[in-house]
Amino acid sequence: MASGVSVSSECMEAFRSLKLSRKHKYIIFSLSADLKTIVPVKTSAEQDYDKFVGDLPEDECRWAVYDFEFEKDSAKRNKICFISWSPDSAKIKQKMLFASSRDALRRSFDGIAVEIQGTDYSEIAHEAVLFKANSSSR
Amino acid sequence: MVNYGGDEVSALVVDIGSSSVRAGYAGDDTPKAVVSSYYGYKTTAGDSDAKLYLGQHGPSIWREGMEIGNPWRDALIFDFNPIPPLISHALSDIMHANPSEHPILVTEPAWNIAANRERMAEIMFEEFQVPAFYIANTGVLNAFAAGKGSALVIDVGHSVASITPVVDGFVLRKGLVYSALPKLVHAHAKHVLTTPTPTRGSIDLYPHQLIASKIPVEPSASPRFALREDRLAGTTESWRTWYETREVDEWIQTVAGVLDQGWNEQVAAARPPRQYEFPTGFNTSFGPERFQVGEEFFYHSPQLVAQNPNLPKNIPTLLSESLRACDPDLRQVLMGNVVLTGGGSLYTGFADRLENELSRNFSHVKIHAPGNPIERKYGAWLGGSILASLGTFHQLWISREEWQEHGKAIVGQRCK
Repeated sequence: MASGVSVSSECMEAFRSLKLSRKHKYIIFSLSADLKTIVPVKTSAEQDYDKFVGDLPEDECRWAVYDFEFEKDSAKRNKICFISWSPDSAKIKQKMLFASSRDALRRSFDGIAVEIQGTDYSEIAHEAVLFKANSSSR
Repeated sequence: MVNYGGDEVSALVVDIGSSSVRAGYAGDDTPKAVVSSYYGYKTTAGDSDAKLYLGQHGPSIWREGMEIGNPWRDALIFDFNPIPPLISHALSDIMHANPSEHPILVTEPAWNIAANRERMAEIMFEEFQVPAFYIANTGVLNAFAAGKGSALVIDVGHSVASITPVVDGFVLRKGLVYSALPKLVHAHAKHVLTTPTPTRGSIDLYPHQLIASKIPVEPSASPRFALREDRLAGTTESWRTWYETREVDEWIQTVAGVLDQGWNEQVAAARPPRQYEFPTGFNTSFGPERFQVGEEFFYHSPQLVAQNPNLPKNIPTLLSESLRACDPDLRQVLMGNVVLTGGGSLYTGFADRLENELSRNFSHVKIHAPGNPIERKYGAWLGGSILASLGTFHQLWISREEWQEHGKAIVGQRCK
């Protein structure tokens, strides 16, 4: 069961620049005003993780892709994370729309290593993502 | 809005439960029609198309020889005969909508069988002549309405309690479990009321329809009422069962609760008692026994289990069975995304107790339990209402032409 919302080509282009040319650190996606297409609303090369968190609105849903870097066994690693942001305070219509459209966006991207479903800031905090990234790498 | 032949028409959403049929326009916040799923009928020899008594002027009006029926049995729609009249009552009589002009989204439980969903499609296309149809799973609708693609949906309804793991928008079948737990809780409540205690006798559960007069009495004193003798002989067994169920439900909704920390005699005794008056005029205050009732959701004594091999499974048992079927990695995700829904979960303290039960075994537990009772009772309807109102959803509807071309097979292909 899905909303039937489609993914714009801009989403794919932004994702490619993040994954292949590493031009972006993160991309934030939302729905177009007519609620028919998923579009990127922000791309950024900002390295500070908290700036990224600050770009996720307190009471509105978004999706994000984040190129997460961390150290494991004294080697630098990176994992691409897919984040579904659906704060409890968002309106039910938006929650429903985003949850039923998520799969379309997620399936468009290859190479996602970590998936996070966040409903409050603690679930998308740096340590929470780090924990997931660590446990998904061997 | 959905586009049909150039006109924008809103879809209709119908959520059929064992206690009520919820129907309304897609895009609305609440269903326009909430009709009891129980219906009255009279058995007259040789007349197979007996009239059904539905809705507000249905089962609750006393009629000589009227029996009460319900389409559900064992968590599935068992008898489809009353389904078209129930839907028609909600859509045509209450909402004044013409089903043949609107696409209709119907809900189904996650454990629904293919024959039932195909029958529903057939009723919609052949009897109601709808232009388009979709059948959506209540587990997924509830997860989505809570903003979650992955969730553990705990749905406590009128007659079934279920746990549905939803992963990336699909039901994880092997982790799907359900039982008739609400019926056991109800039976326990009835037992509490009809069993004499040192301070009171067995409580009569006569409804107001059978009471001719009553005189106010002191709390816990024997009631003084006169029955409508003229009606007793014409009252059927099924109507009596139905109204007793209603009286017990009313009592449960007003009085019963769940202790958030687990059963504790002292804590139960320390909670303030609650006053309740029955239609007979009998009134008394209920102390610890009102928590014993809710306790049945979470704990069954070893004796009870030993005596009843088919006892409906309680919430902790359902939970462990469901989680055992899921990978350990997934369990943690599900525990962080528990969605509590269904009118039967509105017991005071239910969500807190659930959280305590879960936190004992899992480190990160988060329960999404809408505080708004409308959202809790009509979560699946609301999810369907939003989904069916989306312009982009039109690609998913099964159109009348597709039904005519492919028949029943299209239902399983399209509605996953």
